[in-house]
Amino acid sequence: MTDASSAAPALPNRVHSILTESADMRRRNAAEGRFKLYGMAAIAVSFIVLGIMLWTIFSDGLSGFQQAKLTFPVTLTAETLDPKGNKNRDEMAKVTTVGYGKVLAASFKAELAARNIPTDGVTEKELVEIISKDAPGGLRARVLADPSLLGQTIEMTMLATGRIDGYLKGRVTMQTAERDGNVSPAQLQFADLLIDAGILKTGFNREFLTNPDASDQRPEAAGLGVAILGSAYMMLLVLIMCVPVGVAASIYLEEFAPKNRWTDLVEVNISNLAAVPSIVFGILGLAIFINFMGLPQSSSVVGALVISLMTLPTIIIATRASIRAVPPSIRDAALGIGASKMQTVFHHVLPLAMPGILTGTILGLASALGETAPLLLIGMVAFVDNYPSAPVEGFFDPATALPVQVYSWASRSDPAFIERSSAAIIVLLVFLVIMNVTAIILRRKFERRW
Amino acid sequence: MKDINIEERVVSDHKVKITARGVQVHYGTTHALKDVDVDILSGTVTAFIGPSGCGKSTFLRCLNRMNDTVSSARVSGSILLDGEDIYDKRVDPVQLRAKVGMVFQKPNPFPKSIYDNVAYGPKIHGLTRSKAELDAIVESSLKKAALWNEVKDRLAAPGTGLSGGQQQRLCIARAIATSPEVLLMDEPCSALDPIATAQVEELIDELRSQFSVVIVTHSMQQAARVSQRTAFFHLGHLVEYGETGQVFTTPKDPRTESYITGRIG
Repeated sequence: MTDASSAAPALPNRVHSILTESADMRRRNAAEGRFKLYGMAAIAVSFIVLGIMLWTIFSDGLSGFQQAKLTFPVTLTAETLDPKGNKNRDEMAKVTTVGYGKVLAASFKAELAARNIPTDGVTEKELVEIISKDAPGGLRARVLADPSLLGQTIEMTMLATGRIDGYLKGRVTMQTAERDGNVSPAQLQFADLLIDAGILKTGFNREFLTNPDASDQRPEAAGLGVAILGSAYMMLLVLIMCVPVGVAASIYLEEFAPKNRWTDLVEVNISNLAAVPSIVFGILGLAIFINFMGLPQSSSVVGALVISLMTLPTIIIATRASIRAVPPSIRDAALGIGASKMQTVFHHVLPLAMPGILTGTILGLASALGETAPLLLIGMVAFVDNYPSAPVEGFFDPATALPVQVYSWASRSDPAFIERSSAAIIVLLVFLVIMNVTAIILRRKFERRW
Repeated sequence: MKDINIEERVVSDHKVKITARGVQVHYGTTHALKDVDVDILSGTVTAFIGPSGCGKSTFLRCLNRMNDTVSSARVSGSILLDGEDIYDKRVDPVQLRAKVGMVFQKPNPFPKSIYDNVAYGPKIHGLTRSKAELDAIVESSLKKAALWNEVKDRLAAPGTGLSGGQQQRLCIARAIATSPEVLLMDEPCSALDPIATAQVEELIDELRSQFSVVIVTHSMQQAARVSQRTAFFHLGHLVEYGETGQVFTTPKDPRTESYITGRIG
């Protein structure tokens, strides 16, 4: 204690009031102020970018949830739809959508005549074109399901064609219609008359969430039904495949595995797996699951297998981190009173790590939900207009996925699909928000304080 | 030191519970414990004292094989519990730890209810056949740990919500609920205030009648107050081991004397 005072060099004697700021202090405060400013600027920029992104998506996509629809009474003339007159479904099925189109056109014209709406500006063909090409198919399915409707007059709401829908939403104008082979200004003027008569109006587009995809000529009928179902199947399969394997692997690596060169190798490879570009997993899926194992193309099961490979490392890394975050004193306490390793893990470590595991899993699933590239390679970008059947066979049926549907619509030429693409992004975002909120709620629920 | 009342100490008629001979511990390349020979008696409180890093906690953790959880630790030599080598290949450390309980430096109750904390040990060891028996064990353990009166109305409350001293007594109750034969305590009072320390010390003295207690402590006053025998460790060596009164009043080794009088440590 005695030799401490002599060795230390004397510090310069600072005679300075604490009420005034020294030059050194001013410099330090300025540096701190600048640093805070950078941080706030970075946050502001990210908020602006996020805002622009959301604004673009919502301004393009929100209209996708509204759709122009025609409502008028349809007389189901039995002579056209059931030429044999015996209400036999097999016989009736011989009448194609062309026949139903004729019925719709006739009813439409009859309604216009009854309401005294002048049709002199438009040709008969243009008049019929206002009804979506999808409408006869819908009517046919309805009649075949219930032949007793034959001969009756029913009030029907059907989609209007995509250009008329665009006109109601401001996407199609008189000027564009003049240059457009699919719609004429006369049709648009006539649409105004229909709106005045209350036959044509926009309503909530439930079909967008339930319909399958539709061809380029019928953007108004295109929906996300198959994509939502396909994504749901994939998430279910990913959950079933990834969570048990991922959590078990994490527990083993973290609590039981000896620390040696082998486990180091495994660890490095798990981290590497998380960094592999997703398109590579797509190639792998194509080569192994489809070409080698012979699983059906475009099916949810192949998509789920590929995405599982990508999600597994994420889940393992998150689970290991939350297992590691459990205080070692809890393990000591359990081991100290004679709990076995297994009991320690399952009675004490896992319950405490649960919130972290759940959050990691859900966030892993959320990123899997948005994964597109590998699905393109395994054929999930195909045009699928049949719903996959119920599980388990449904897992092997062709399906698409939400992000892939966004991609495929965005690459089509009709501007009506751009609107639908943005609307599909909104649906995808809603699902992601739901998953993230679930993660937060589960975290809150399982979190234990000590 | 007035704390030491040599006259009261009667230890000679107790038999040897743990025999350690030539115990060496290596952590990787560090030689943490060198050639330790100790006999721990039943019905006795044995204190391990010494400066930080002297190996006293390491030795304590050898006695219930908690060092097994440290992958770099290697233990050699022999430690016999009632004449049986605890490092024998046939010994399951889990079974050993049911006989040799441990209380840690920092109170570490499970984030469960007070009841579940105490009941956990008896449950996993299958010591009870009915809820009533379990209740009885929980009650008697909490009573032995002098905690019953404070918590009997809130057994369902989380153990982590108790004060530090109460938490440590809960940990002691948890350790004695499995009726161990030896109770190891690794600086059990270092995180406690003087009042809680006094309560725990009183408790240790009472526990002596049923268990052989081994306590690691930094406080020489505490060693003098609660123990009948004291071992002094220095730089991995067991320097001196004997009756507490003798170690504190007439140490045989100059290093012990230096430590006790405050010159090293």
